[in-house]
Amino acid sequence: MKMFTTRSAPYFFIAPALILLFLFSLLPILIALLISFTDMDLAGLADYANIHFVGLANYTKILRDGSFLKAIGNTLFYVVFGVPFVILFSLAIALLINFGKSRVFDIFRAAFYMPSVTNVVAVAVVWSYLYNPSLGLFNTVLNFFGLPDVRWLQDPVTAKISLIILALWRAIGLNMLIFLAAIKGIPKSYYEAAQLDGAGTWKQIRHITVPLLRFAIFFVSVTTLIGWLQFFEEPFVMTDGGPLEGTMSVALFVYKNGFQFSEFGYAAAGSFILFFAIITLTLLQFRLQRKED
Amino acid sequence: MTIKQKSMQWLAGILLTVGGFLMVLPFLWMILSAFKPEPEFARFPPTLWPETFTLEHYFELFERMNFGVYLRNTLIIVFFSFLGMLLNAMAGYGFAKYKFKGREPLFYLVLATLMIPGQVTMIPVYLILNKMGLTNTMTGIVLPSLVGAFAIFLFRQFMSTIPDELLEATRLDGAGEFRIFLQIVLPISVSVLAVQGILTFIAGWNSFLWPLIIANDAKYYTLSVGLQLLKGQYSSNYGLQMAGSAVMVVPIIIVFLLFQRYIMDNYTISGIK
Amino acid sequence: MRKNAFFAGLLALILVLAGCGGSGGNDGNDGKSSGNGGSSGEKVKISVWAMGDEAKSLPTIAEEFMKEHPNIVVDVQALPWSNAHDKLLTAVASKGGPDVVQMGTTWMAEFANAGALKDLTPYIDQYPEFAPDQFYEGAVGTTKFGDKIYGIPWYTETRFLYYRSDLLAEAGYPEAPKTWDELRDAAKKLADRGKDKYGLSIDMNEQSLTFMFARQNGSALLGEDGKPLFNQPEFKEAVEYLKGFFDDGSAPLDLGLDTVQAFAGEGIVPMFISGPWMINAIQSQAPDLEGKWAVAPLPAKENNLSVLGGSNLAVFEYTKHPEEALAFIQYMSKKETQMKWNELTKSLPANIAAWDAPLLKEDPKYQAIQEQLRHSEHMPMIVQWEKIAQTYLDSFERIVRANADIQAELDAFNAKAEQILSE
Repeated sequence: MKMFTTRSAPYFFIAPALILLFLFSLLPILIALLISFTDMDLAGLADYANIHFVGLANYTKILRDGSFLKAIGNTLFYVVFGVPFVILFSLAIALLINFGKSRVFDIFRAAFYMPSVTNVVAVAVVWSYLYNPSLGLFNTVLNFFGLPDVRWLQDPVTAKISLIILALWRAIGLNMLIFLAAIKGIPKSYYEAAQLDGAGTWKQIRHITVPLLRFAIFFVSVTTLIGWLQFFEEPFVMTDGGPLEGTMSVALFVYKNGFQFSEFGYAAAGSFILFFAIITLTLLQFRLQRKED
Repeated sequence: MTIKQKSMQWLAGILLTVGGFLMVLPFLWMILSAFKPEPEFARFPPTLWPETFTLEHYFELFERMNFGVYLRNTLIIVFFSFLGMLLNAMAGYGFAKYKFKGREPLFYLVLATLMIPGQVTMIPVYLILNKMGLTNTMTGIVLPSLVGAFAIFLFRQFMSTIPDELLEATRLDGAGEFRIFLQIVLPISVSVLAVQGILTFIAGWNSFLWPLIIANDAKYYTLSVGLQLLKGQYSSNYGLQMAGSAVMVVPIIIVFLLFQRYIMDNYTISGIK
Repeated sequence: MRKNAFFAGLLALILVLAGCGGSGGNDGNDGKSSGNGGSSGEKVKISVWAMGDEAKSLPTIAEEFMKEHPNIVVDVQALPWSNAHDKLLTAVASKGGPDVVQMGTTWMAEFANAGALKDLTPYIDQYPEFAPDQFYEGAVGTTKFGDKIYGIPWYTETRFLYYRSDLLAEAGYPEAPKTWDELRDAAKKLADRGKDKYGLSIDMNEQSLTFMFARQNGSALLGEDGKPLFNQPEFKEAVEYLKGFFDDGSAPLDLGLDTVQAFAGEGIVPMFISGPWMINAIQSQAPDLEGKWAVAPLPAKENNLSVLGGSNLAVFEYTKHPEEALAFIQYMSKKETQMKWNELTKSLPANIAAWDAPLLKEDPKYQAIQEQLRHSEHMPMIVQWEKIAQTYLDSFERIVRANADIQAELDAFNAKAEQILSE
């Protein structure tokens, strides 16, 4: 006797995960959405009688905050430059590693993954040294070639770029692994057929590998976009949003202006503005993908 | 190999070596710094190779950390994370290979959980666990991070490339749905399982926030919580921190090296076809 | 039949989870039942939450306390500093948690305002150890919120001047600068040693620095009516004074060096203002500097008021054992315990008499700190203070980096502060 039919099977597969997600992710998000319409703070948490419904006040207030608008601008900057570079670099490195035939290339796989498992304090110490204005490694090298100093973390625009480089460095490892796993799923027979047709390496990559990696590229671009819209850790450890709020991201703004002062309503409102932005962009991505198919 | 192919191989190797060196530099610094005496951290520019080797930080670490208890808790959490990964894989498969009512909206709901920062939901999650009477229990520590949208999405993407004919053929042989999942789907998804397995291990191994928040007793603390406890409010104590990170990263590297084999081996769809 | 295996597996998983829950829950109940039994002469268990590395020394003291109070069991839970605030939030949310809690002085207003801390005013007269005159005045101030008392001082901290005595002597200062003008002059002379040399480090992210200097210049920060005074001449002069260090290159901007890195060796930045924790950092990271550096009370303008910090011990509002919790705090504030605690952790006793401890008495550094402690005040005890201080940092950054007009910027900041205070 079959325990479940093909009709009911999918529900059995998704139910356990969905129930847990509902309880510990969706329900809390709904509660947080409610909180965003209130003035809840620590006093409200201690005694619910202190919580007042304030309507859209948190939203209108945050949208009128000049620093928040600046943070939105910065975040867009991060996304526009960060996302394509992450995809490009991790894909390129995955292809290069896959291209290698010697055992040496196994070492590279581990090497490029290392940033993902490096303690964030070590990351901050080493990169602070690399970016140090007068004595750092990068500027020393530039000076050696007769080039002037770059103000890596001191100029609002340069600082954004410096943080993008750092974040790129940290993000490559994981996405490279995903691409490698996807590349290995491509049947060898496709390449063999192409080789018989006389296609070179570059042609094979362009006409077989990349098209067949579409599902993985899609995954990486969606998760990377979500990640960059929530860009937080790099400015948090390296610049704390400075100089002159030049590296302040939306997530960091919400953290500094809401959570640090336990203004949960305000922080939740900021997070939901971000939430709606992310969900709109993600749905757009899904639309575009479906059109391609 | 032709000359051209050979030189291409060399080119790729050189490119990766240069890049790879930059990638591992901070990691090397972390590992080597764990052997430096504290005064060496005040040196500028920072030294990569320790001028004086010392094991003092390791001695201090093992003296001051309650390793036994913390390690046990951490391993329990890792174990349950892998059960969680199985649930994620099932959900990913459900979304990838079945057409059913509500598939799209349900999947978007799953994705939506990725889009809100954890700080926003921390207190609501805690209140829910409190209502369920799960504070100060191992269950309460394990449950909130058992499943995750990232993993479900990853599994869905990879499993959607499994050819339908393969599943249909097995189905015609009279296999039940769950048996298809266990015997066909999981084995051909071994590469993505390995990727997610590495991530799952790291997340479980480093778990910090929920063990701290849920526990009203140090007996549920994990290794990460123990490490954080060694930090003063203002003091940096780099040597001890680096030694702690170095100890924590060893199992991660072992797991990585064990699992990455499966990412590489072509024991995937093509193998079965 | 395979599918049954699946269900069996799922069932097993649920059972395992439930099993963990069960055993965990029982452990929780153990604590409660033993607690309830307190009245009938059985042991009462109190839970004490303390932070960071220091908390790990607390069980040693708790042992001795339990010897004196055989009916009380103290369970110390250490919380990492980085997430202690989160942990306390959830404790407030669940209306459970500890009986005694360590409260950083900057958190007092927030948690007292939320009603999470027990009002200790009625107990102050009952326990001689809680008498305010036992402690530094500034430390007692951090326990007050409104007109009530919510904590008992535990250990204290203040900011003072660290300087390289060798380099200052070369620059013509055999002793530390004593006035604002001397500090300014010394910093300039030190900066004139050459390229990439500076005098004084001014931390752009240090929230209380300007407020401290403003007080030294006679600013009350907030008026009698609670209105901010940040655009008044006293405050503005302090900002101008600080900016002056950047303008003539006495203070580095974006040096990118750790404090000790810049202080040690050739002394790129030979003076900085910080708290007692840096003594340890210098001694462990730059041991060869011994004898070439010293600490001194801050230079004065109208006064040399510093910022007082540290931690208090408070009773959590939701405790079921207030008497036992107070007994523990009583024990912690005794002179002998405070001396012992200083010995164990090197933190500075809030109890004045405990400064008889040899470690403190024989060390000129600690003598200088004690001198400063007598002239230290906490930042205003209002819930919004953190936010005001954080807002100020942005204004200060615009003044220093973008050369914004000081009066205009302070007017804007004052207006923002007024708005924050009115919320």
